[in-house]
Amino acid sequence: MLDEAFAILKQYDWGSDMTPLAPIEDAVAASHDQADVRRDLENRLIATLQSDTSRDAKDYVCRKLAIVGTVAAVPALESMLGEKDYSHMARIALERMPAPESAQALRDAAAKVSNELKVGVIGSLGSRRDAAAVSVLNVLLKDGDHSVARAAALALGAIGSVDAASVLKVAATSAAGNKPAVIDALLACAEALLAGQKQTDALAIYRSLAADNQARLVRLAATRGILACTGKQS
Amino acid sequence: MLRRTVFGWLVLGSLLLFPSAKSIAADTPDEFLQLVVKLIGDSDREFRAAGLDHVRTPAGGSEGTKLFAGRLPGLDSAGQTALVSALADRGDPAARPAIIGLLNSRADENVRTAAISALGKLGEPADLRMLMTYLSSKSAAEQAAARATLTQMRGEKITKALAAELSSGSPTTKAALIEVLADRRASNELPAFLTASVDDNAQVRTAAMAALGQLGSAGQLAALLPGILKAQRGGERDAAEKSVALVCSRIDNEDDRGTQLIKALDAVDMAQRDQLLSLVGRVGGKKLIDFVGQIATAGDAERRKLGIDALSKWPDASTADTLLEIANNTKDSAERSQAFQGYVKIAATRDKRNDGQRLDRMKQAMQAAKSNEEQLLVINRCRTAYDVETLRFVFPYVDKAPFAETACETIVELAHHREIRDPNKVEFNKALDQVIAISKNPEVVERANRYKRGETWERQAKAAN
Repeated sequence: MLDEAFAILKQYDWGSDMTPLAPIEDAVAASHDQADVRRDLENRLIATLQSDTSRDAKDYVCRKLAIVGTVAAVPALESMLGEKDYSHMARIALERMPAPESAQALRDAAAKVSNELKVGVIGSLGSRRDAAAVSVLNVLLKDGDHSVARAAALALGAIGSVDAASVLKVAATSAAGNKPAVIDALLACAEALLAGQKQTDALAIYRSLAADNQARLVRLAATRGILACTGKQS
Repeated sequence: MLRRTVFGWLVLGSLLLFPSAKSIAADTPDEFLQLVVKLIGDSDREFRAAGLDHVRTPAGGSEGTKLFAGRLPGLDSAGQTALVSALADRGDPAARPAIIGLLNSRADENVRTAAISALGKLGEPADLRMLMTYLSSKSAAEQAAARATLTQMRGEKITKALAAELSSGSPTTKAALIEVLADRRASNELPAFLTASVDDNAQVRTAAMAALGQLGSAGQLAALLPGILKAQRGGERDAAEKSVALVCSRIDNEDDRGTQLIKALDAVDMAQRDQLLSLVGRVGGKKLIDFVGQIATAGDAERRKLGIDALSKWPDASTADTLLEIANNTKDSAERSQAFQGYVKIAATRDKRNDGQRLDRMKQAMQAAKSNEEQLLVINRCRTAYDVETLRFVFPYVDKAPFAETACETIVELAHHREIRDPNKVEFNKALDQVIAISKNPEVVERANRYKRGETWERQAKAAN
């Protein structure tokens, strides 16, 4: 059944009946506590990914690898990150796979791929809340391409660590065009820090944004943040 | 020492207008309170709301409550209203003195109303007298707030204190207090309500009867009847009867209901009992039909009139045959008219019968009708039988001059019900075309056109008297 499903997957294309692929779905769900079965599944998926299949078949495979993928799948996925048609599919998997190598692949790609694809890769680093990506993102924050710099700011906000906040604070004093994104990211950082019981760090950010020279809505958000931080202590 | 100094500065500061609230730094609990206090006074509504959100939480404890409440005198009306409401949500009685202080000041109506409402959560028995004065306030909002607050304040002590005030106060206050006590489900105060039900003031009597209707039980039926007799004929009497009927409706068994009401009526002298027949009609039941039927066919014309009136008020169609029999057998034309009208009204009642049964009654009534007026009455009441057969029954009258307009009205009323109109569209459209051609009433014509187009029509609310 599974062999037949993988054979059909190789011919799969947009609009095809997905019913024959059900054994793959079932195997993915059933193998969550069977390492051997899962490894076999992953190998079959990698093989399909590296074969001459349609774009939609590869998309299907990436979505399954997001669930069963390990370090073994990283090279195949990493090689897709620079390709316009496949980059986002690879990110679907790499963003969710717990292996640290998948984060490394994204970090490496962030420096190499075209600006158009870079924005997505940066977004994936943010989604992974990859603390190790702060230095890479710090560089990208200064990128001349606004969309790249903006994506880097938002990714740092999503990471929400003390280091990310430090980088953003510095950027906030200089970033002209991207200032709203940097401020937004700083507020996101503060929120994450507060949720992580790092009230002092969060409070410092909120204070820096509550000054009269900030925009009204920023001051309002910062004021609410200060109340949330200090209210916890009262 | 330093802490005391800081706190003293906060209290002083809270009484002054602060500079920008938004650049404040805060890193201690006291500074949290300071920031909230500042925001409360901010002219920007959203910043103020950010502060008020924290007033609503217990943060800062009792000292915080006092600090926040201390800002009240320095705020504008909108700020005072919002802060009072937030303090009420906070639920800390420590805010009460400041709120009482607002009520004693020259605050505007919105602020007073908010303060009165806040006492529902924060008030205590000592506030009752003052709150009761607002029951007769010129401001409807204050009246409503006082009423809601007196209902909301918890404790049997409050109920007792309110009941004690029933013996004094203006009729308006008394009536409002009775309503409050009824809303508080103060069933221990029924004796006081019974006393008030025969008060010389109609407002007090009406409130008392309504309260008795909500809280009374079968055991009080006899005691409730003087309240009906004391009520003025018309609206007050109707309302009083409905209240007693409500008490009766809580007796589950129909026979028991009849027996207990007859027992209560037996305690009233004969002349007064006849005045209560209308109540009997509202309560209904087979046992009571016999009781009233005897009166409706008695020798005395006045008593017969009361009996027929009672039969005409029956809650279902079970008195229809009795009324038709009276209408057919009487030799008095006025009595015939009264009984026939009652019969048609009862026969058309939308009770548990189906529409076919209602229509059958209408056909029976048409056969019994002896004049154009009586036929018109039947055509008019046919509108309560939602059935295409009713359309077929009424439609021929559209072409008969004396009945045309009434028939047109009934047809549009039937067409109003989409559930019978849509499945019989062709037939209804034909009838509506005829209505459009014949009716002189623009509203009827407009409705006919709308229904033909598949639209609905919104009934105009009846003008208040």
